[in-house]
Amino acid sequence: MPTLAALLAENTREGVLWERLDERRIRCTACGHCCPIFEGQAGVCKVRFNSGGKLRVPWGYVAGAQCDPIEKKPFFHVRPGSLAYSFGMLGCDLHCGYCQNWVTSQALRDPEAVAPVRRATPEGLVRQAVDSGAEAVVSTYNEPLITAEWAVAVFQEARAAGLVTGFVSNGNATPQVLEYLRPWVDLYKVDLKSFNDRHYRELGGRLQPILDSLRRIHALGFWLEVVTLVVPGFNDSEEELGAIAGFLAGISPDVPWHVTAFHADYQLQAPRDTRPEDLLRAAQIGRQAGLRYVYAGNIPGGVGGLEDTQCPGCGERLIRRRGYRILEYRLTTDGRCEKCATAIPGRWAMACGV
Amino acid sequence: MAYVITDTCTKDELCVEACPVDCIHPKKDEPDFEEIKHLMIDPEACIDCGACVPVCPTNSIFTLDELPADQQQFAAANAAYYGK
Repeated sequence: MPTLAALLAENTREGVLWERLDERRIRCTACGHCCPIFEGQAGVCKVRFNSGGKLRVPWGYVAGAQCDPIEKKPFFHVRPGSLAYSFGMLGCDLHCGYCQNWVTSQALRDPEAVAPVRRATPEGLVRQAVDSGAEAVVSTYNEPLITAEWAVAVFQEARAAGLVTGFVSNGNATPQVLEYLRPWVDLYKVDLKSFNDRHYRELGGRLQPILDSLRRIHALGFWLEVVTLVVPGFNDSEEELGAIAGFLAGISPDVPWHVTAFHADYQLQAPRDTRPEDLLRAAQIGRQAGLRYVYAGNIPGGVGGLEDTQCPGCGERLIRRRGYRILEYRLTTDGRCEKCATAIPGRWAMACGV
Repeated sequence: MAYVITDTCTKDELCVEACPVDCIHPKKDEPDFEEIKHLMIDPEACIDCGACVPVCPTNSIFTLDELPADQQQFAAANAAYYGK
């Protein structure tokens, strides 16, 4: 039986996001590592590799594909109540000890992470998305940057079918990959996991490429939402949460910031799960930094009004949520507060009829 | 966690050329390249990606967990080179 690595090596094609470095190495530009790769070797992600002086990249399969509420991605300012057809491949450029998708993200590193794959075509995936009533197609579950070429192929089909497209990513991008994605990707969610470079290195990355990418994602006009999984003892100090919120508010006070609860997973079992009061504190820090849309996630019904969207103009509660469900929706069709007409930023078109 | 280079290293710099975060030193053009016995990984800068391992022709690079018992001293040697 072929190994997973051998199976995946077959499901590749020549990539777009790379350049020749010297006579022995090429450089991949799909993620912030910008791996210099010798002949016969793979990049940090283990799914992009140098074969004959050219970069081979994942193609023609999925490790998972299903419809989720768009709120689960989470996108809170995009077509609330709609379905997002979500697909993923295998591998990641980071190796977070608390990953909740580790079976797919660490499949190439950890022998205990065994994920089945199935062949797929962009046409087939988009047909499934349309048939299941999805309004969006989203690359998620593993890190989509390392499979950007495949995602673009799927999104080109999705666009032709009138669907919105999105990335659920760690944000460890490069200028090259963001320029490449921009024509085909509408929505971009970034996990900003820490504001401490040492912490990021423990997870297998660096802070600076992620901060640079966040600024660039916003400047290029993707719809950006940011998530910070609040991990007690790792990133929940006043100082660190304040630095994250301040940085985001500096990009734009309209960037939604989701502070979400950690539950023990994969290799990180300690020190404890995030409590509702931890999220309330994080949300308060976000508001104090000037962010207008701060949400608390992963504790449905346990965080007061922090699952809801309030008008920053008059305070009116415009979208009421519990978990992934929309309980009440009171935005006008052009995305304004129905009481004071303040425009609420987002991609609201074709909003749900609750 | 970080990787560690041991004294079977021949200083060929293939690991330096594969490292995505430039955490392996000294390089040929750095002052102590000649006198130092083997290359060193900065344990705080290393992102634990493992890119250096398959390109090393002498199998001199280990994770901290897999460092053989009789070579434990190299973890401290790598860290000490960076003043850590």
